[in-house]
Amino acid sequence: MSQIATASSWAWAHSEDEARALAQEAVDLALGRGATYADARLVEVVEERLYAASGREPDWRLEQVVGLGVRVLLRGAWGFGSRVLGPASQAIEAAVAAVEMAEAQVGPNSAHLDPLPGASGHFRTPFIVDPFAVPPSTKHQLVAGLLEEALATPEVTRAVAGVNAKRQRRCFASSEGSWQVQELLETGGLLQVWAARDGEVQRRSYPNSFHGNTAAAGWEYLDELRLPAELPRVADEARALLRAPVLAAGTADLVLGPAMTALQIHESCGHALELDRIFGDEAGFAGTSFIRAEERGRMRYGSEAVTMIADPTTPGARGSFAFDDEGQPARPAVLIENGIVNDFLSSRETAQRIGRSSTAAMRADGHSFMPLCFSTHVGLRPGEGDLDALLERLGDGYYLDMDRSWSIDEKRLNFQFGTEVAWEVRRGRRTRLYRNASYGGVTPEFWGSVEAVGGPETLQVFGLPCGKGEPKQWGFVSHGAAPILVRGVRIGVAG
Amino acid sequence: MIAAQLRGGDELLGRLEEALLAAGGEGAHAFTTVRQGEHTRFAGTRVHQPQAVEEVQLMVTVDRGGGAARVATSRLEDARATGAEALRRAAALVPGLTSAGAPAEAVSGSFSEWDEDTAAWGAGARSQVASVAMTLAQAAGATANGMLSRVLVEMATAGPSGRAYVSATEAAATLLVRSGAGSAYRGDLSRSVERMAVEEMVHGALAEAAAARDPEPLPPGTYDVVLGPLAVGDMLTFFGAMGFTGEAVAAGAGAVARRQGQTVASELVTVADDALFAGVGLPIPFDIEGMPKVEVPMLDRGRVGAAVFDLATARAAGTRSTGHAHIAREEAPSPTPANLILRPGSSTTAELIEGVDDGLYISRFHYTRMVDPETSAFTGVTRDAAFRIRGGRLAGPVASSRFTEEVLGILSRTDGVGSQLLSQPIMNVWNGVASAPSLRVRGFRLGFR
Repeated sequence: MSQIATASSWAWAHSEDEARALAQEAVDLALGRGATYADARLVEVVEERLYAASGREPDWRLEQVVGLGVRVLLRGAWGFGSRVLGPASQAIEAAVAAVEMAEAQVGPNSAHLDPLPGASGHFRTPFIVDPFAVPPSTKHQLVAGLLEEALATPEVTRAVAGVNAKRQRRCFASSEGSWQVQELLETGGLLQVWAARDGEVQRRSYPNSFHGNTAAAGWEYLDELRLPAELPRVADEARALLRAPVLAAGTADLVLGPAMTALQIHESCGHALELDRIFGDEAGFAGTSFIRAEERGRMRYGSEAVTMIADPTTPGARGSFAFDDEGQPARPAVLIENGIVNDFLSSRETAQRIGRSSTAAMRADGHSFMPLCFSTHVGLRPGEGDLDALLERLGDGYYLDMDRSWSIDEKRLNFQFGTEVAWEVRRGRRTRLYRNASYGGVTPEFWGSVEAVGGPETLQVFGLPCGKGEPKQWGFVSHGAAPILVRGVRIGVAG
Repeated sequence: MIAAQLRGGDELLGRLEEALLAAGGEGAHAFTTVRQGEHTRFAGTRVHQPQAVEEVQLMVTVDRGGGAARVATSRLEDARATGAEALRRAAALVPGLTSAGAPAEAVSGSFSEWDEDTAAWGAGARSQVASVAMTLAQAAGATANGMLSRVLVEMATAGPSGRAYVSATEAAATLLVRSGAGSAYRGDLSRSVERMAVEEMVHGALAEAAAARDPEPLPPGTYDVVLGPLAVGDMLTFFGAMGFTGEAVAAGAGAVARRQGQTVASELVTVADDALFAGVGLPIPFDIEGMPKVEVPMLDRGRVGAAVFDLATARAAGTRSTGHAHIAREEAPSPTPANLILRPGSSTTAELIEGVDDGLYISRFHYTRMVDPETSAFTGVTRDAAFRIRGGRLAGPVASSRFTEEVLGILSRTDGVGSQLLSQPIMNVWNGVASAPSLRVRGFRLGFR
């Protein structure tokens, strides 16, 4: 029987009983070889993606990955092994690889996990319309229509449109008795338009620039995005940018739109609060952090208006789940409370070093890689008022949104972001459009200058991919972001 | 001993045959990639992430003109079902005006980029090296982080005009030594672990970190600089975005479309995508479409040369594929530079430094991003060892600084090219590697602009 998931089939390669038997077999083997702790993740992923770009035929692809990752703690050393799983079980090979990787480590090794009771449960992403059951013609017509209309717009020279969906079943077993089954679903879309004139090229994107936007939801999310309805605005703004002046260098008060705020959260808050980075475990590649663990409860990260919460129980968010990839139940954690560092994105091992409980942020890309501390769903607590009220409060300044380029140093301190659009704001009203906008600063000074955050009605959720680790693995995270009002920011820093 | 067994050409090509048969043959193409990686990652006093990672993908593409349906699986045993599903989905595509075209001449045969020493570089040996690095660093009052990797790679392709298989080894080493407020980094990537000189990397990083331990803030300004090989290689990864791809040419954007034949860099600078350059980076003879890798001269002594193409963009442009098909995760397929090299000169790094009276040595960049592909503007920060140069000699260490510069501007102000190449991976590009020497550059701007 074909194990390739067809468009409308939710069949998995393994039944739950088979998955549990394989995972338990791996855990038992590790324990039999001397491990004091072992966990096994059997992950099945099916991903569908339809992208169309001007000048190319549309690309429609379905990808399936099935595999097992085994993590062991043996005589104070970690070991991890992963194998893809075919019809003839190779669960033992992954477990043996994990054990032998641990055994190969030169001692003395002293890693340990404080014992915890197992946690078990089942979870499934709520959704209304299964994106894998939506007829291919619906998807193709949507994407082709977007591309056709975009390219019919004068001065538009290039466009990309796409839809994506992923379903995965993540099964987790541990030597502490956990058995967890999570069926996660996500759906997303992307629209980007480039306009060109006299050598000048400008881009506008919707709903976000970096890989569009993806939610933990079904096809109903694509309907909510209303891509065809947004296209004329996106194309018009790309054209208008061609004639807009460059935002000059200086210092200004800003309102950052939700998409830009989401990236600001991601780069300067989420990554900075990963406890493995703070302890130096990621120094060799991604870097460290300006935040120190011992400053919890004392360190001022931002203004009173800034409260950041990691809450992987948030419905609809790509960074949400019921259990992280070392089996810890998802729970809300206040990371920054009224500007003060309060907690971290942590794993069991890193949290126990500071005498705290994990915030369930240990995550891995599929089955293949060892989990790391990643963002989950990290959001900024909304304040009050809609965008107009925030612009009114801004008075004179600029409204910037949607990232065009971004860079931050290895301590997550010194950043420089470019945005797709910038509007001058005069007496609380958006006026002139500017192109090639950029701003920069130093993280605690920037967040310390946040005067206000938009209200719940301005909050948007952005799901995006993220990279970390050596070998690099992807993390799929999300951020809840409302627009923010920031005073005295350096702008025009990219020249 | 962890047994890493290759699937072998017979098995992989046999699976592809099954897939193509089920996919109907005409207009179908398939490839499979297998990576068995062992990674010894260490931090401070321990190996904290020792991983044995297996990644497998078999992908079938059915292209009937007007669109392509691709189906991929990690389960090689499901090759037949994968091909059948690709055929089924292709039937749902709306026929387009474009044609799949006549198949280009694909590579056939079995190839090897294998190094026995690398294949034998086991977890125990890597752990020993990591232990030595961490112990020496501790003894010097420093800490060491890094990763030592050995990967066994296989790729097979099958289509209307060819069947090809390659097996290869890959060795990688990265090492960061932090000392006080300073740090030093070493990294290299090769088919051969012997070529990487890991022991020298350890001692070099320790010595440089000791010299870099108390960096002074650097005033913003314009400096003559010597950029280390890893900083230069980082810049090369932007050549795709700068317009050296068939996709950009079709869009009329970027360097090749707008400035072909023009001199945009120093005549000392020659940049190519060259997957056949023996002994450097990660040579490989063909791409995932089975097309032979061709050397693509991007900058020939400073003049804008050519772009890389896959089958689709080559067809649209009326030219031939250069063997640069690429399918990245979460992205549409696009031709992608994957074996970038800036040709070495004849100077040692010390000789380049001697040519700077008052300036900087910058070993490495961090988190660089393109700001404007048309102007080649990019931004980033300097990271790890950076030193003042005074009177042609390294002087005191300086702290990390932000910069926003143009890649082509830097290459046009280059007046010296080093002889030693170092290689680094190109993120999110399969078998992607950038190899570069040191450069001496006049007038590099640091600080917010």
